[in-house]
Amino acid sequence: MSAGSGGRWHYAQWVVAALAVAVLPYVFTSGASITMMSLMGFAIIFALSYNMLLGQAGMLSFGHAVYYGLGGFMTAHALNVIGAEKLPIPLPVLPLVGGLAGLSFALIFGWVSTKRSGTAFAMISLGIGELVAACSLILRGFFGGEGGISTSRTSTLRLFGISFGPQIQVYYLIAVWCLLCVAAMYAFTRTPLGRMCNAVRDNPERAEFVGYSTQMVRFIAFCVSGFFAGVAGGLAAIHYEIVTSSVVGAVPSGFVLLMAYIGGIAFFIGPIIGAVLMTALQISLSDYTGAWLLYIGLMFIFVVMYAPWGLAGLLLMHQPLLAAGTFRRVLPAYALALLPVLMLAAGVVLLVETCHHLLVKASEGPAMRVLWIDYQANSPLAWAGILMLLAAGIFAVRRVAPRVAEAFHAAAQEALRRRAEP
Amino acid sequence: MSRSALQLLDLHKSFGATPIIRGVNLDVREGERHAIIGPNGAGKSTLFHLVSGRFPVTSGEVRLKGESITGLAPFMINRRGLSRSFQVTNIFPRLSVFENIRCGVLWSLGYKYSFWNMVERARDARERSESILKQINLASRRDVPAGVLSYAEQRALEIGITIAGGADVIMLDEPTAGMSHSETDHAVELIRRVTEGKTLIIVEHDMGVVFNLADRISVLVYGQVIATDTPERIRANAAVQEAYLGTATAEHEDA
Repeated sequence: MSAGSGGRWHYAQWVVAALAVAVLPYVFTSGASITMMSLMGFAIIFALSYNMLLGQAGMLSFGHAVYYGLGGFMTAHALNVIGAEKLPIPLPVLPLVGGLAGLSFALIFGWVSTKRSGTAFAMISLGIGELVAACSLILRGFFGGEGGISTSRTSTLRLFGISFGPQIQVYYLIAVWCLLCVAAMYAFTRTPLGRMCNAVRDNPERAEFVGYSTQMVRFIAFCVSGFFAGVAGGLAAIHYEIVTSSVVGAVPSGFVLLMAYIGGIAFFIGPIIGAVLMTALQISLSDYTGAWLLYIGLMFIFVVMYAPWGLAGLLLMHQPLLAAGTFRRVLPAYALALLPVLMLAAGVVLLVETCHHLLVKASEGPAMRVLWIDYQANSPLAWAGILMLLAAGIFAVRRVAPRVAEAFHAAAQEALRRRAEP
Repeated sequence: MSRSALQLLDLHKSFGATPIIRGVNLDVREGERHAIIGPNGAGKSTLFHLVSGRFPVTSGEVRLKGESITGLAPFMINRRGLSRSFQVTNIFPRLSVFENIRCGVLWSLGYKYSFWNMVERARDARERSESILKQINLASRRDVPAGVLSYAEQRALEIGITIAGGADVIMLDEPTAGMSHSETDHAVELIRRVTEGKTLIIVEHDMGVVFNLADRISVLVYGQVIATDTPERIRANAAVQEAYLGTATAEHEDA
């Protein structure tokens, strides 16, 4: 691969991405989908900033929402000051305030936490997360107590008559920031420091013996990551026009870990896939079921156990097959596996929903409807059906899994063989 | 006589109450190839760890080119021009072979912690890395993840990373351990080539390698240097023969 053609291909990818982002609101025109795409925009920045730590530098943080949330609070406060003082500052630069806030707090907290690595780092990040979450309930002036800090994005200086009142304008603001941040974070992976992050992740001891202080590498990566998390938080504050103390808490810190991990921390694109999927699930799934978090948890466990490279890994492992033209060979096995997988999934869904109905919605009576089936949650027949479906699904998946693996392996071998031939 | 490259002055190291290094004095001259030999448990690897900053010393001093480096962190010592390899292969397994070498090159070319320039555009780093890949005969394995290399290839890469930064004092900890005869011959040839004009300090069990490569040999027994001399005189030294070499040379000559 020559550097020149690789470079041109990279630029082409960015142009395609920018065009897609520009055109998307014309494809998904409803207000709900434009809102969802806005959420995806800052979720992508947040998840990628998290993966700078976990995937690239091998630092497992349980408190990354601190920098996201504080970025959001600072942006909201800045917006309020700008509105009250009529300062001539336009809205599009405001996420920078969030970024600088994230960076500043990362400088302070990172100085402490990056003195350690591994488990100790994870524990310190958890402690700092809890500390800031506790402060958010005590320091009511800054965090706004239970009600949070409300703000208005329309009271800033208007450029070209854009008010940022309509959601579509906010979408484009978020989209531009998202593209800029993704490009910047991608570029970061290809800098000397970005490469040394990988070296420190792989073998911190050896990194010290080629002249690099692992602590300094981790510290700078932590600060850069804090900056981008702050930008994401600032965009969230602009989108919601309110920031509450829950954004610095353990829940968003955990959620960003799920986004990055389910997407695939070993690939740059992984957290993007994770952020898009998880945001979509968070919004759409919660319309259908109160147990949506449980499904996300089950998905996380599935990925950790069976697909440690994440969804990006599952997708990208097919790339050599597609390139060599052997992808068709795995399709019969996948088709064969479709029914067992659907049976198992339906069994799990029915079980979860029925339990959820009995435990949480008992007051509504036993009648319920899931997957277009009407049944009584307390009927023994329904339970027998669910358990049988589940058992049959598990049995069938276990039978078909080796055949799928075999078919994939054969296709991968064939792809390797074809590549080796001139 | 040339200047001193590495000096150890009354170096001590204890783990808890157990003394491992008990007053080592050593003076390695610039451009010299110096071998450290001694029976298992004599403290050879510990001595390497003390010099390279991996372990703190209990007492005594380490001087690199006349300046004290005692108590400095490994990366500081490396920046001052001392680079070491490890007895157990210590590479970046998920990075490509080329990137492993480039990691060793970056600091010495002044890239430091830069995140404002692209590493692919760093021509000097690429050219230096590629020339080192050629020297260690791994050019054909350039883009393979280092973790999948064969054992001998990983040992060569280990040496490549060590010399990549252009340090003028090179310390190799048992570079030929676990290699077959032909692999060992290749490794010795490689070491001779890549340490041309540099100071080499090597710990090695293979006496063939030691007597073939070294200008001077120090014998470490129970944490003390009992003799430092040319290979011929070490071979003839009665105390050395008694402590260590007697059996080893006999075996070597039989073989």
